[in-house]
Amino acid sequence: MTILKKNSPKNSSITVIGSGVAGIQACLDAASAGFKVYLVEERPYVGGIIAQLDKTFPTDDCAACMMGPKLAELSRHPLIEIWAYTEVLQLEGEPGRFRLTLKQKARAVDPVKCIGCGLCAEKCPVKIPDPFNLGLNKRKAAFLAYPQAVPAVYTIDKRSCLFFTQGRCRICEKICPPQAIDFNQQDRVLTLESGAVILAGGVEPFDPRLKEELGYGRLPNVITSLEYERILSVAGPSGGKIQRPSDGIPPRKVAWLQCVGSRDCRMGRDYCSAVCCMSAVKQAMITREQDGGIETTVFYNDFRAYGKGFDRFFERAEKEHQVRFVRSLLSRVVPDPQEGTLQLTYTRSDHLLQEASFDLVVLSVGLSPNHQARGLAEKIGVGLDDYGFCLSDPLEPARTGREGIYVCGSLQGPKDIPDSVQQGSSAAAEAMDLLAGAEPQEFKARPFPEERDVSREKPRIGVFICHCGINIAGVVDVQAVADYARSLPDVTYAVDCMFACSTDQQELIKKTLIEEGLNRLVIAACTPRTHEPLFRDTMRQAGLNPFLFDLANIREQDSWVHRTEKEAATAKAKDLVRMSVARARLLRPLSEITYPVVQTALVIGGGLAGLTAALTIAGQGHEVFLLERTAELGGQARNLHYTESGADPAAHTQALISRVENHPLITILTKARVLESKGACGRFTTTVLVDEEPREIEHGVTLVAVGAEEFFPDEYLYGQHPRVMTRQAFETLLTRRPDEASSFERVVMIQCVGSREPDHPYCSRICCTGAVKNSLKLKGLNPKARVSILYRDLRTFGLRETYYQQARQIGVRFFRYEWGQKPEVSEQGDALRIRVFDQQLQTSIELTADLLVLNTAVRPLRQGLELAERLRLPLDQDGFFMEAHPKLRPLDFLRPGYFVCGLAQGPKFAPDAITQAKGAAARALTILSRKTMVAEGMKAEISGTFCRGCGECERACLFEAVAVEPTAEGSKKAVVDPSLCTGCGACVVACPNGAASLAHFQDDQIYGMIRVFKSFDLQVDQLRRSF
Amino acid sequence: MLPDTLKYSYYPGCSLKGTARDYADSIKGVCRFLGLELEEIPDWNCCGATAAHSIDQKAAITLAGRNLIQAAGLPHKEMLVPCPLCFNRLKTAVHALKQDLENQYPIILPESVPILQDLADFMASEKLIEVLTQKTRKPLEGLKVVCYYGCMSSRPPEITGARDFENPQSLDRIVSALGGIALPWPYKTDCCGASHSISLKDLEEGLVKKILDMAGRCGAQAVVVSCQMCQANLDMYPIRTGGRPKGSPALPVLYFTELIGLALGVKGTGNWLSRHLIDPRPLLRGLGLL
Repeated sequence: MTILKKNSPKNSSITVIGSGVAGIQACLDAASAGFKVYLVEERPYVGGIIAQLDKTFPTDDCAACMMGPKLAELSRHPLIEIWAYTEVLQLEGEPGRFRLTLKQKARAVDPVKCIGCGLCAEKCPVKIPDPFNLGLNKRKAAFLAYPQAVPAVYTIDKRSCLFFTQGRCRICEKICPPQAIDFNQQDRVLTLESGAVILAGGVEPFDPRLKEELGYGRLPNVITSLEYERILSVAGPSGGKIQRPSDGIPPRKVAWLQCVGSRDCRMGRDYCSAVCCMSAVKQAMITREQDGGIETTVFYNDFRAYGKGFDRFFERAEKEHQVRFVRSLLSRVVPDPQEGTLQLTYTRSDHLLQEASFDLVVLSVGLSPNHQARGLAEKIGVGLDDYGFCLSDPLEPARTGREGIYVCGSLQGPKDIPDSVQQGSSAAAEAMDLLAGAEPQEFKARPFPEERDVSREKPRIGVFICHCGINIAGVVDVQAVADYARSLPDVTYAVDCMFACSTDQQELIKKTLIEEGLNRLVIAACTPRTHEPLFRDTMRQAGLNPFLFDLANIREQDSWVHRTEKEAATAKAKDLVRMSVARARLLRPLSEITYPVVQTALVIGGGLAGLTAALTIAGQGHEVFLLERTAELGGQARNLHYTESGADPAAHTQALISRVENHPLITILTKARVLESKGACGRFTTTVLVDEEPREIEHGVTLVAVGAEEFFPDEYLYGQHPRVMTRQAFETLLTRRPDEASSFERVVMIQCVGSREPDHPYCSRICCTGAVKNSLKLKGLNPKARVSILYRDLRTFGLRETYYQQARQIGVRFFRYEWGQKPEVSEQGDALRIRVFDQQLQTSIELTADLLVLNTAVRPLRQGLELAERLRLPLDQDGFFMEAHPKLRPLDFLRPGYFVCGLAQGPKFAPDAITQAKGAAARALTILSRKTMVAEGMKAEISGTFCRGCGECERACLFEAVAVEPTAEGSKKAVVDPSLCTGCGACVVACPNGAASLAHFQDDQIYGMIRVFKSFDLQVDQLRRSF
Repeated sequence: MLPDTLKYSYYPGCSLKGTARDYADSIKGVCRFLGLELEEIPDWNCCGATAAHSIDQKAAITLAGRNLIQAAGLPHKEMLVPCPLCFNRLKTAVHALKQDLENQYPIILPESVPILQDLADFMASEKLIEVLTQKTRKPLEGLKVVCYYGCMSSRPPEITGARDFENPQSLDRIVSALGGIALPWPYKTDCCGASHSISLKDLEEGLVKKILDMAGRCGAQAVVVSCQMCQANLDMYPIRTGGRPKGSPALPVLYFTELIGLALGVKGTGNWLSRHLIDPRPLLRGLGLL
C-alpha cells in the first residue's frame, strides 16, 4: 500500500559528490528507488580507490571484477547522470533546494564522439609516469586511466601534451577515427538544482616521505601498500609478476610495516586507519600463493581483525600460508650498500634486538581524507575533525552538521569496503527521507517500435565483423572473415566495420536490419560482458526481439590472446563466427515476465535496527509490519546508555519506539514469530504467530533484524563471586548507581571472554572500545580509581583509537596476555586476585581487584537458527545471518527480496546498526518503490511430457525456484517459478530425463554450435584414443 | 655575494678551547677568509651539557640561560654555535625559559637574545653555499665521503627546529659545493656514544664500529663531521681498539671546516689537518688535494 504524498516544492534529485564504492552504492540505491541522481567526480573516471586494488579481503575477490557490474549498472541506469572530471565550485541553498555550481573540465575529447578505441593513446608521443599505477610505469598524454574505466572516454593531459605545452604535434587529432579530439574544448561552468547532497569523497594514502627514516622515495625497494596492489594486479605495470622495482628481480623476502602514518601522534595522525592490518595479510597471502618460495613477514602493532571472517582469514594466513607475524614497531629501514637488501631491526618477544634483511619492504600506509573533498566540505560549512574527516552525528554517522548534506564512506572516518557500502546505502536512505513527498522524477523509458513476429520467417542473418580499431583488425583479417561469413547458410548480409558500438554504426546496423529484412543479428566483436546490452537495445530499436542476437567474442577470446599468430587467429575468428551463426539460426524470441509488487515490508525484530528500518521504509509511504519476539520493543539498545562519543542509544531507542508506535503506516506485532514464508521477491505471504494466533501477512520484502545476545561465561568466577560482572552489568551500574560504581578503587577488565577462542573464533568487535569507554567513564567518576585492562590485541579501530589514547593518558593500565596463558582469577575475601603473564614485560603480574569486569562476546541469537530455516536463509559459520556478499552486498541476502541489518548479521556498535538499518531500508526501497517486478526471460523450462517428477531439479536449485507439484491428473511434475529462477542452469544439468532446459541456451542451440565446429569430430577421435 | 664584513656573536664552548682546538682554529680561519667576523660572547660559562643536565635539569637550564643573557648584551642578531652539544643545550634553554611555565627558573631571558645558529646549518644556507661554490679554488675532485651529523644538532626537532632530522643535508650540501662527493648512507644521525666513551667503553665502541663499518661499506674514503665529540669518538676508535674495521683502511674523520679550508685555499689548513689521530693527509695527497 502506498499513501499519497503531499505536494511539496522540494527538488527530488540527489547529488552524490565522489564516486568510490560508497558513492556508487548511494547512487544506485537512490536511483533504483526512483530518485534522479547526479554523480559528480573530480577525476576523469569513477570508481575510487578500489579500481586500483588487486584483490580484496577476506574473500580474495578480484576488485575489478567486483566493481565491473556496479560500474556497468551505474553507467546504464536511466536515472543516473555521471559528471566525471567535474569539480564542485559552490553549494548554496537549503535542504530540499540546493544549487550547485560545477566546473566540468575540458578533456580535449568530445565524450559523445569518443568510442574508446585508444588510437590517440597509441600514437601519442609523450610518456609520463602513470598516476593510476602510482608512477611504476609510463602512460601517454592521451589516456584512459585503466581499460575498464567508466566513462570509457579518453582524456588529454594538458600538463604534458605537446600541443598544449609547446603548440605542436596534433597527431591524435589527425588519426582519431570519429574525430573526437577537440583542442578548443573549454572548461564549462554549469549549475545543478538538487534536493539533497551526499559527500563521498573518499580517502587518499598517507605520503610516507614524511617519515624519512623509512626511506620511501630514496630507496627504490621501499614501496607503499597501494603500489604493491598495482604490482600484484595482472592489469598492473608488471603484469602481476611480483618483482622489486630497483631491478625487476623477484624478491625472496618481503616485509610489511604496519601503522605507517597511522596511530602516530608525531605525524598528527593519532587514529587507526582500520584497513591496513587485513590488507597486509591479504597481500602476504597472495604473495605466498603466487610464489611459495617468497618469505613474508608482517611487522605489526596490534592485529586488528575486527570484521566478519577477519580472524579466520588471519589464522589461515599464519597456519596455512606460513605468513610470519611479528609484533614490533620498526623505527627505520637501512639499506645494505653492497647486498642491495634492506635491513630491519626489530624487538623479539624476549626483548632482544634482532636484525633481518629483506628484498622488498611494503609500507602499509594509512588513509587520509581526500584533500579535495575535505576542501569542499570545509567550504560548504560541514564541520571537520582534527584530522580532516567529516564530522557527523555520533549515532547517525551519515548525517553531517548541515541538514540536507549527508556523508558516506571513508570521508567520514577510515573504513573498509562493507562499512563503506552500507554507509552509502544509509546516506541514500537519509537523502530519500529528506525528500519524501517531493515529486518523484518520471522514469521515462525510451519507446521502442512494436516487436515484429519472425516465427514464421526463415532465418535471415546479418553479420557485422568489428575492427575494434586495431584491437581486432591488427591481428585478424576482418575482411576475410566478413567474406567468409557471407558464404554461411542463412547469412544474407555480412560486412566489416571500424567500431560496431559507435553511435553512427549503431544507426547503420539498425537501418540495415530494417532495410534488408533481417531477423537475426551476429556481431563479432569484443565481449558480451560489456556490449551485449547495447546490441540488444539496437535489436529492440529495429523492432526485433533482443534475444535473436548473438555475439562472437573475437577480441578477448581471439585477437588479444593470439596476438602473434595472425593466420591462426583469423581461422579461429571464422570458427567463432560460424558457430555464432549456427546458434543464431536456432534462437527463439523470449519475453520478460511482469508481476505486481506488494509495496509492504515485513521487518523481523523490534530492536534498534528493526525500529530504524521500519521508520525509514514507512517514511517513504510504505506500510510496514514490525515483528517482535518479546513483549516489548527496543531490544539490547535499551541497556546501552552511552557511547564513547557521548551519545545515548537507550534514549534514542525510546524516541524511536514512540515514533513507531504513533506511525500510521507501521503495525507492531509483539510476542510474534514467523511460522512459514512463501512467494518471491515482491510478493511474499508469511504466516506469523502473534501471541500464538496465526496471521497471514502479504508483503514485498523481508528484513531480518533479530539482533544477538550477550554471552555469559562459566570461567573467571562468573556467577560464583558477586564482584565479577559482564560489561553490560557494569555499564548499568555506572549509569544507574554511579556512587556505588565509583566506590570500587581497583577495577580489572578482561577482554576476549568467549571471543577468539577455538569454538568461537571471531572477534566481537565492540568489547575493546567498550572497555576503554567504561574506564574513561569510571575515571571521570573517580579519578583515583585504578583500572587495568587485560587484552590480547587492542582493537579500537578507526577514529576510536583516540579514546584508547585518552585512556592511556589518564593512567588506565593495559596488560597484554596470550590465549595460551589466560589470566587466573581467585577469590580473596571480598576482592579478587588476578594473575596474568604480561607479554610486554615478559613477566607474571598479580593484581587485586574490587571489581572484575568481563568483556564477554556477542553471540548470535539462539532463535536465529529456527528463523533461518523457516525463511530458508543461510547462517555463517558462527551462527550469524550470512549476507549475499561480505564486500559488495553486505545488506542483501542471496535470495532476492530479503535483507539483513543490525546484530543479526554480526557484532557491531549502535551507530553501525543504525547505518545498516537505514542501508537495508534503502535496499528494500529499491523493490518497494516499483509497482511491478520484471523478471528476465532467460529462465529454466521443464517439459511436462518428459518430466517424471523425480525431484532432482528441486534438490539442485539453490533459489527454490523449482518444485515438484501434484498435477490435476494425479501425477507429479516439476514446475518452475519464473520470478525466482535466475537462469543458472543447475536443474538442466541435474535432470536425468532431459526435461529441463534453459531458455536461450537450448540443447539444440548449443549442439548446433558444436556440430559446425569443424575439428570437433577430430577432437572427439583424439579423446577416444587417449582413453 | 656577501657584504665585506658580517658580524656574529660566537659561543665556542669548552671543547673548542681544549681537545678540539683544531676545530676552533679551522672555524676561525675559514670565517676570517669569508669575511665573517665572530665576536666571542663575554665571560661565557659551561653550556650545561651531559654533566649538568643528567643530574639537575634546572641547573642545566640556568647555566645555558646565563650564556644567553651574556649573548643578549652583544649587538648581533645571530649567534653561531659550532658544537652541536652546546647548540642543543642553548636551544633547550630558550625553549624551557620561554615555554616551560611549570618550573620556576631563577633567570629571565631578555628580549634581545640572538637567534641561535648551528654552524654547519649556517654554512649550508643558500647564500653561503653560493659563496663557497664561487670561492672554491681547488675542488675536492674524487674525494668520496659520508657526512656524519650525530644526533645533537637536529634532535629533538621540537627544540632544534630541524626539518630534515631523519636525513639531514647541510654537510652534504657543503661537500657538494666544494666539488666533493657526499655519498648517501643510512647512519647520518646514529649515536656515537658521546661521553659514554669514558664510562661505558664497550657500548660506545660497538656503536662507533657500526658507524665506521657502514661508512666503509658505502665506499667512503673519509667521514665528515661538525661535532668534535663525534670526531673524537670516531677518530680514536682504531687506536683505542688497536684495530680497524675489518678489511678497510682506517677512515680519517674530517671537520667540514677543514674541507672548506682545503677547497678555498685558506691559510693554515695543513696545520689543522696535522692534528688528527688518523692522519688524513696521505689520502688527500693521493687525490692531489694537498
